[in-house]
Amino acid sequence: MIHAYKVAGHTFHLEMPDDSPLEALLGQYEPFVTETSSEPLFTVSVCDTLPQLNPVPVYDVPTEPGEPVVKLYRSGELWYAEMAVWSGRPVCARMVSDSDFRNASVKVESGRDALFGINNSLMLMFAFSTAGLDTLELHASVVAHAGKAFLFLGRSGAGKSTHSRQWLEYIRGTHLLNDDNPVLRVMEDGSIRVFGSPWSGKTPCYRNEDYPIGGFVSIRQSPRNEISRLGVLEAYSLIYSSSSGFKADSRMSDGLHACFEKVISAIPFYVLDCRPDREAAVVCHDGVCECSDR
Amino acid sequence: MRIIEGFKLRNICGEHVVTGEGLTQINFNKLISLNESAAILWEAVCDKEFSVSDLADVLVENYEIDRETAEKDSQAIATKWIEAGVVAE
Repeated sequence: MIHAYKVAGHTFHLEMPDDSPLEALLGQYEPFVTETSSEPLFTVSVCDTLPQLNPVPVYDVPTEPGEPVVKLYRSGELWYAEMAVWSGRPVCARMVSDSDFRNASVKVESGRDALFGINNSLMLMFAFSTAGLDTLELHASVVAHAGKAFLFLGRSGAGKSTHSRQWLEYIRGTHLLNDDNPVLRVMEDGSIRVFGSPWSGKTPCYRNEDYPIGGFVSIRQSPRNEISRLGVLEAYSLIYSSSSGFKADSRMSDGLHACFEKVISAIPFYVLDCRPDREAAVVCHDGVCECSDR
Repeated sequence: MRIIEGFKLRNICGEHVVTGEGLTQINFNKLISLNESAAILWEAVCDKEFSVSDLADVLVENYEIDRETAEKDSQAIATKWIEAGVVAE
């Protein structure tokens, strides 16, 4: 069966055998179901066998404990990726993609990590194939408040999700848009919006909604609560390290950088030193809303 | 010496930043910020073998400074680039 999904305006296909037990696991994709397209951005096909390859390693992320592992290889013109939920866990999915990330085959190991394998394959293809399309797949937790979205960024364990929860609890009229992998897009009219996605880390929050972005906030744990604006270099460093795009290919890298520049020119970036408490949410809200309302 | 393959100078909203790109530098996880004169030097030598003296030539051409100062400044920036891992001797 062919499943078609639209995320941040990009339609992609997921193909799998009708009798696949994975069919029952796709609930988080429901809000994003769309009509099949004659020209999907990319197609991922679930299959039992992959072509024979001679993979040469190109990318091995130095993962932190608890972080997903993705190893990327080249085999001639093809790309090959191995994925695991975290280091030490067995590889749960193997994916082979054509050179421009339009078509991929993925072999998913059965068991408890199967859905992770599907999710990660689709996220990888989405990030790579949208890199030149004014689109960024971000690692962030996002809340919507007063018609705007605020993105909390930082390393794993920095407290992004915790800070979102403080907003949900203490800032009236706030809801969670996505807790891990929202998608940013520079629209045709130049406005910059953030979209929910079927990928939200450990929090089941799969909203098909989008908002203009009010600000980006780098979250840092600290004994005090204080917010300040970031300069261009810090903003660039933050968005660069929070984007899933792949800088190995100069065309993709040029596309990502063009997008970074538009985002940095248009949207305020902040750093929030914070405790996990009510005052942190109030200090952050007052800082970002004062600016975005002006 | 030579700039190592995969390092690219980009202009981001008026700031000059070197990042590691391409398959050779995909694991490089730093950003290097260059000032105006360092960016001019980088552009001048980014696709060729160069010496401290070549850098000094560029500085003398672009700024009103004497040869001795230019040599000293060029040596300093070359050393910094080597330490940062973006230039190979």
